[in-house]
Amino acid sequence: MATKKEEKQFEKERKAANKARLKRMKEEGIEKYLTPEQIRYNRNKRIIGAIWPIFRFLILFGLCFVILYPLIYMLSTAFRPSEQMNDPSVVWLPKSLTLQNIKETWDVMDFGATVGTTLRMNVISSILQVITCAITGYGFARFQFKFKKLLFAIVVMMIIVPPQIITIPLFMQFRFFFGSTSISLIDTGWAMYLPAMFANGIRAGLFIFIFRQFFRGLPKELEDAAYLDGCGPFKTFLVIMVPNAKTSFLTVFLFSIVWYWNDFYVSSSFFNNTKTVALMLKNLDAQLRVKLFNNQAVSTRQIIVWLEAGCVLSITPLLVMYVFLQRYFIEGIERSGITGM
Amino acid sequence: MSEYEKDLLEQAEDAAEEAEETVGEVTEEAQEAEEAVEAVIAEDAEDAEDAYEYAGSSAAEAAAEVSYEEPPARNSKKQKGARISYERKKRLYGYGFIALWIIGTLYFFIYPLIVSIVYSFNKTTVGEGGMELKNIGFDNYVNAFRHDTNYTKALVDTLSSTALKTPLILVFSIFIAVILNQKFRGRTFARAVFFLPVIIATGPVIDIINGNMSTTGTSGNAEQFSTLFEANLVDELLEFLGIYNISDRLTEIINTLTSEIFNLVWNSGIQILLFLSALQGIPFSAKEAAQMEGATSWEYFWKITIPYISPQILTCLVYTVVDSFVDPGNQVMEIVIGKANQWEHGYMAAMAWAYFLIIGIALAIIVAIVNKFIYYEVE
Repeated sequence: MATKKEEKQFEKERKAANKARLKRMKEEGIEKYLTPEQIRYNRNKRIIGAIWPIFRFLILFGLCFVILYPLIYMLSTAFRPSEQMNDPSVVWLPKSLTLQNIKETWDVMDFGATVGTTLRMNVISSILQVITCAITGYGFARFQFKFKKLLFAIVVMMIIVPPQIITIPLFMQFRFFFGSTSISLIDTGWAMYLPAMFANGIRAGLFIFIFRQFFRGLPKELEDAAYLDGCGPFKTFLVIMVPNAKTSFLTVFLFSIVWYWNDFYVSSSFFNNTKTVALMLKNLDAQLRVKLFNNQAVSTRQIIVWLEAGCVLSITPLLVMYVFLQRYFIEGIERSGITGM
Repeated sequence: MSEYEKDLLEQAEDAAEEAEETVGEVTEEAQEAEEAVEAVIAEDAEDAEDAYEYAGSSAAEAAAEVSYEEPPARNSKKQKGARISYERKKRLYGYGFIALWIIGTLYFFIYPLIVSIVYSFNKTTVGEGGMELKNIGFDNYVNAFRHDTNYTKALVDTLSSTALKTPLILVFSIFIAVILNQKFRGRTFARAVFFLPVIIATGPVIDIINGNMSTTGTSGNAEQFSTLFEANLVDELLEFLGIYNISDRLTEIINTLTSEIFNLVWNSGIQILLFLSALQGIPFSAKEAAQMEGATSWEYFWKITIPYISPQILTCLVYTVVDSFVDPGNQVMEIVIGKANQWEHGYMAAMAWAYFLIIGIALAIIVAIVNKFIYYEVE
């Protein structure tokens, strides 16, 4: 195998050779070498090659704008004083910047404590979930056992069945844990940790699926070698497979964090008093009315700066993570991929 | 050495061999057994007896560990037995790996699922020590379809909007994925931006972005602050192009399309990613061959790209349908969640299950049909 540097060198040489050949052909008259169809083909290709980048730029620019528009709007709104929302001369750039909105929203959301709770819950659940899902995925990828197809069908079911169907029975189960009226998991972190610990957390089905696909893609010889050298399956998994699946682990971990962070359906069913970022944001509107406006009727236009400030607060951690680890989100999926599902 | 000793030796060797068979788990024991055999050779009869006992017991231990009965001393049979046990061992390990998940799924998934089916046939009231049930047969289902006009309407609306949206999302995301797969400057940035919705759109932020600011419903009225496309920008563009008001219908179609673009882009993050990964799986040789034969990009797209990514099209199709189906924002889900808030859990379960079954059957039919047109590369 040639190294990357050498390959680049080869590519350069190839291009140079091609250029020289074309030049020679032109000097001798191109008709001698090419049929009319080929000439037409080349010409069309050249024209498309010249025009297409412009179109591509326009399309991508437009769509990127559509995606970034709300974010830009959010930034523009969150840092302006509320009065300037009614000022027709202010569209994008506020006349003055203020941190007042952010500060007030921070207080209303009790953001420091909220983020603490959310982070603790997210990280613990995600770590547990990644570990158990990886083990399960490996089991499905590499071992033959009875009822494997049936069991895997259940994994697919876990992806498809909407959480709304099972939330109420689950609530009862957590409220009266194992039939006892005294143990209630509602409003404790266990309502999140326990399912994650048993590979049944948020979107666990999808994660098991991703891990299975990934482990199936690794060469079998790796394990056979380990077995021959006297490794048991669990040790093989730990020593051989896990280090190979690093990117995959990171990707699933990141996704897990994102989904736990964003989840409000499951947490709103199991938490009454526990504050998570998503729940607080969901109720921000009502909270603001109570705490800032004394329950007066206010229009959205009046309240929007605080709402957008809340948005800014709650997605900033995710965005920061995304900016730094963007590579793993995208390439991780591509490589460990759900390819060839 | 006496006859007896030889006999012993043979047996000890057999035992040692046996121990060797189970190398994976019991290498150490086997080694010890071998050492024992060597000891037999070196020492006299008494020691040999000890050694035999030792080797035998270690072999028995080894055998016990892989849980199969001590086979007779015929070599061929023994090997067969050992192999079966290896397979069985692997099978047991398979169960070991998924054991956690099985327990969890039984408790956190299967059981609630069954309970919710039971709910759907009952009238439920919340009592002191849990849910109190009163069996009413299929009444909940009959109610949902024959008396509840909201439900059937929402069902039809959701199904038809899913049917419309899914092909749009698929075509759009293939298109974008093909573009993002080309080489150009700023590609990483563009990819990062297109994937951004996946991170944001699953959370409550999207509600605020979409303009459904009010959760209490006092002043909501979906004042669209953040979406541009409600404005007359589109009309102006059409006028500028000179095709405004050629026919009302055309204008209307274009208007819906453009106002949908926001939703389209924000809903196709994962699909774009999936297609992108599929596109990168197309072998370079296929592209080279196509170029040699003088295929235009158009032909290349239809004859190479589409067949290669067709398995992924199915995946994305299923994903898109499921995604829009479980989206808490769609009408049926809103009704279902609303019923849960009114404590009508039995009725809610019936609605959710009916909905789930309809979508499931529709999905199964679609998958069965689409599956016929998919090209799987034989490896």
